[in-house]
Amino acid sequence: MFEKRAQTPVELRNYSTYYLIFSGILFLATVWSVWDEVITRRPWKDYQNEYNRLLVAKLTEKRLEALNTIDSSEVVRLGNELAAARAAKESVEYREAVDKKDTLLRDLDIATREWRFARSRSDAAYYTYQKAIKEGRDAAREKAVVDKHDADIEQYFKEMEDLNKQIAALDETINRYRDEVMRLEVEHAALFSEVSALDLKLERARRAPVQIRQVVLNDFEFTPFQEIKARVDRCQTCHAGWAEPLMEDAPHPFAQHPLPELLSAHNPETFGCTPCHRGQGPALTVGFAHGYEDKFWETPLLKGVDVYATCNTCHSSESVLKHATPFTKAKQLIMENGCYGCHGVKGYDDMPKIGPPLNELLAKTTPEWIYSWVKEPHDYNPNSRMPSFEFTDEQAEAVTAYLVSISQESTYRPMRARGTYAGGSGAAGKRIFETVGCVACHVVGGNTTVRDARGTSYDIAPELTRLGSKVNPDWLFDWVKNPRNHNPEARMPSLRLTDAEARHIVAYLMSLNDTNAPDRRTLDLANPEKIAQGDRIIREYGCAGCHTIKGMENEGKVSVDLSDFGRKKVEQMDFGNTRELRKGSDVEYQENPDGTVSLLRTWSAWVYGKLKNSRLYKTDRIDQKMPVYNFSEEEIKLIRMFLLSMTRDVPLPTYQRTFDKRQQEIETGRRLTMRYNCMQCHNIEDRGGYVVPIYEEEAMGPPILTASQGAKVQEPWLYSFMKSPSTIRPWLDIHMPTFPLTDDEVTIVTKYFLGLSNQDLKLRDYSATPIDQKYFDPGRRLFETYQCARCHPSGPVRAGELTAAELAPDLTMAANRLKPEWIIDWLEDPQALQPGTRMPTYFFDGQGPDRTIFDGKADEQIQALKTYVWSLGRRQQTAQR
Amino acid sequence: MTIKRSITTGLFIIGTTAVLMAGDVTGKVSFSGTAPAAQRLRMDADKVCARAHKQAVLSEEVIVNKNGTLKNVLVYVKDGLAGKKVDAPKSKAILDQIGCIYTPRVLGVMVGQELEILNSDPTLHNVHTLSKANKPFNQAMPMKGMKLTKKFDKVETFKVKCDVHPWMGAYIGVFNHSYFAVTGDDGSFTLKGVPAGEYTVEAWHEKYGTQTMKVTVPATGAATVEFTFAGK
Repeated sequence: MFEKRAQTPVELRNYSTYYLIFSGILFLATVWSVWDEVITRRPWKDYQNEYNRLLVAKLTEKRLEALNTIDSSEVVRLGNELAAARAAKESVEYREAVDKKDTLLRDLDIATREWRFARSRSDAAYYTYQKAIKEGRDAAREKAVVDKHDADIEQYFKEMEDLNKQIAALDETINRYRDEVMRLEVEHAALFSEVSALDLKLERARRAPVQIRQVVLNDFEFTPFQEIKARVDRCQTCHAGWAEPLMEDAPHPFAQHPLPELLSAHNPETFGCTPCHRGQGPALTVGFAHGYEDKFWETPLLKGVDVYATCNTCHSSESVLKHATPFTKAKQLIMENGCYGCHGVKGYDDMPKIGPPLNELLAKTTPEWIYSWVKEPHDYNPNSRMPSFEFTDEQAEAVTAYLVSISQESTYRPMRARGTYAGGSGAAGKRIFETVGCVACHVVGGNTTVRDARGTSYDIAPELTRLGSKVNPDWLFDWVKNPRNHNPEARMPSLRLTDAEARHIVAYLMSLNDTNAPDRRTLDLANPEKIAQGDRIIREYGCAGCHTIKGMENEGKVSVDLSDFGRKKVEQMDFGNTRELRKGSDVEYQENPDGTVSLLRTWSAWVYGKLKNSRLYKTDRIDQKMPVYNFSEEEIKLIRMFLLSMTRDVPLPTYQRTFDKRQQEIETGRRLTMRYNCMQCHNIEDRGGYVVPIYEEEAMGPPILTASQGAKVQEPWLYSFMKSPSTIRPWLDIHMPTFPLTDDEVTIVTKYFLGLSNQDLKLRDYSATPIDQKYFDPGRRLFETYQCARCHPSGPVRAGELTAAELAPDLTMAANRLKPEWIIDWLEDPQALQPGTRMPTYFFDGQGPDRTIFDGKADEQIQALKTYVWSLGRRQQTAQR
Repeated sequence: MTIKRSITTGLFIIGTTAVLMAGDVTGKVSFSGTAPAAQRLRMDADKVCARAHKQAVLSEEVIVNKNGTLKNVLVYVKDGLAGKKVDAPKSKAILDQIGCIYTPRVLGVMVGQELEILNSDPTLHNVHTLSKANKPFNQAMPMKGMKLTKKFDKVETFKVKCDVHPWMGAYIGVFNHSYFAVTGDDGSFTLKGVPAGEYTVEAWHEKYGTQTMKVTVPATGAATVEFTFAGK
């Protein structure tokens, strides 16, 4: 071959075939690359075109609608008037005026010109005149010339003035016609203003360029190497309608964002989309942008409730987020179930233990009951928060032996002599139990209204349906009288029951017996080996994570730290003996008829399986110690979302919410109200009030504590009320119980309420608020005219006057209870402070109904009413002194 | 502008012609079964109210007329008006509080129509609407002769109550057309000038709920619908 090549001169060789083939390939490759670049890799162009088409269609429809709502008779009327006004401009008067004005303007021009010429001539003559004087000549002739020109100036000026006056007079006539036309044109245009605005939008939509829309965050987060990393989000290229209210019910990807109120705090134009939704921001095809087709992309788009997981990256210190209910619920689940007892959970490690202390169990119950409870708590209370450890008989016996042994060292003594409980009436007890407020936390029998309102799979306080078979009556009497006598950290408040009332309650509760009594087996409890075994089991299974147990004070957390669990790789997870579901399966978890479970091999499926049955991944070799919970489907998904949020990826501080002192105080308050279950009765921050559904009338339940609560009550009053509640609404059956809060805890509550009202804790002498005599008398008269006392009675309420739900608090309390500024806000607009309140609004548009006092001026009348209401309690105090 | 004007005028003319081809829908609402005995209202709590009545006042929740028909039923066109446009009437609807009773107990208004609420009693009333779609209000009327003027912008039927006098209640239906009526002492109603077409007509009663009927209004002439509510 080489020889042949050497023989043939280069210029004689023919490469045309190769050339043709390769140029063909090159041509095709070029066509392909252009096609790929412009069509295949730019599907977003189709989306944007489709979006623009949709927008134009919607705007056109809206325009037609707007056109239809225009009052057609008005259009005709204005049209006619406009035509008439235009026609009027053809009238003799108008046309003559216009013609005359033209002539006059011409005359004015001439006069002006002549006036100017006269001035120039006068200047020239004046020069000649001065020159003659300087040269010492007789200047009389020159002077006469100057005077003549000055007279001309005068004459032309007068002429001009005269003409201007005539023109002004004509203008008046002319403008009368023109203004009328203009006014009607404006009015006519105003009828079409909405249509014109839509026309403008339509024009913009039709001309909208098809282009990539992106948000660049230059300094969003750190890379693992602590370098600042930028984010580029191009989501809005396809999701073009995210901010367009017209697209509220449009199909994806054009729909408006479902939570516009959330976007007001996280504007996607400056905050991007992926910080909340994850996904691959810069990608421009669906699969890659959402991250599912890119197997190397670690954070694909979050689906369903999981999208709330990312809230935690910036809001990890907060447990309530207004626009993120699932997030708030998830945190409630974590706190109420005490996950932090066994696991490290960033932000929750210092929370108190959720279970009761177990050092004095024999004071209230029997070893047999303890045994059966340890074995399976849900046999006794199916909705108990206590999970099931699935102990063997032997393990349960050992645990019981240990608990009984420490209990024998107890020093607890009831406050009253044994037997004091006897003599109550069960029927009376039932009545007290159901009215005084016990039902707000405890379920008895089939009455599950509060549990249902709460909507969790577990109860926050034990169900008492079988209490008679659990506790001894001496302990129960002591406990209902004052729970803190037995347990100084008890969360149950005192209901201030008299001995007689407590006896009735004991009689009622002791009558609630368990039909299936605990196993009457003989327990080997005194055996030291058994006790030692119990000690080991309690340590191993981490019982001390939830309970205070003597001898276990220094136990640490028995399980893994969850603070970076959201980033755990599926390769690091052990699926035990479960079967594998095919990739792309519709479900991630499936229970098979043979009792086995099949799972997708994903993080999400693993967590689901673990929360569904924490012993699911147990094998012969690997034991599982986490107890089994009865979480509902919804709860599992919420907890999983919370776990997904547990990562160490945190954006730079500029993107984070500032967790200032006030925020901290609010958060501390939230945790305290959660600990004492305040929300069982009160609605705080739009959550809770679970007891309210048991009342036919909402007003018969405990009051809502709105965000203005801190601005409403005086701090000293709140302090004394929290320490020892006084009666505000005597017509209510349910009572505010006495929570034995410490001074610190009362301060936390006070600062919490103040924080929600955007106020700071300040020392203030409320009694020093002066009573302005100018307002006192008008206030008294208004109080009568407006008949305030109809609903706000002072003194005892006469039966039959009104139904209880219509009553409102006694206003003699106001001076010691309410902040004066709040009374003003309240009178101005009660509905704004407490939506749905029965207190009506008296003042509208700055006016009160009675125009004879302060000319009906609302702010003056409100001042007057406030002054009078404020004086009511003050006078009473003075009289008492 | 000229083109737009002529289009609008054209639409107006077409609209007018359509309205001309219209008829009345008439009918009555019968009642079967036994009516619950009307409760006597106890007005002792407010002497002004008690004094306003010489005879015992009975609850107006269910009123069966002498001819066996049901009073205070709100009848209205529910469906079928799409694209047919009606201007809000210039006249006001009136809701009076007299003798501590709302008069009328049931009334319909149009979206954007003015509703004048009067207090003819020398006592305190508060007008508390329990609306959901429209922004609820709760306004005090402590003096005789006071007037309130309100407008509603969403279609909805809701209750109005007075918290001072718990027996007081009224119902307001808000519609985006004018084809509604409330049955009176003879249980009959007339929906005036309904454009020709097919409609669903609904009858609503505060205690007995709703019933619907299909009706076709011919190009000329009228249509009739009969409803029957059964006592429970």
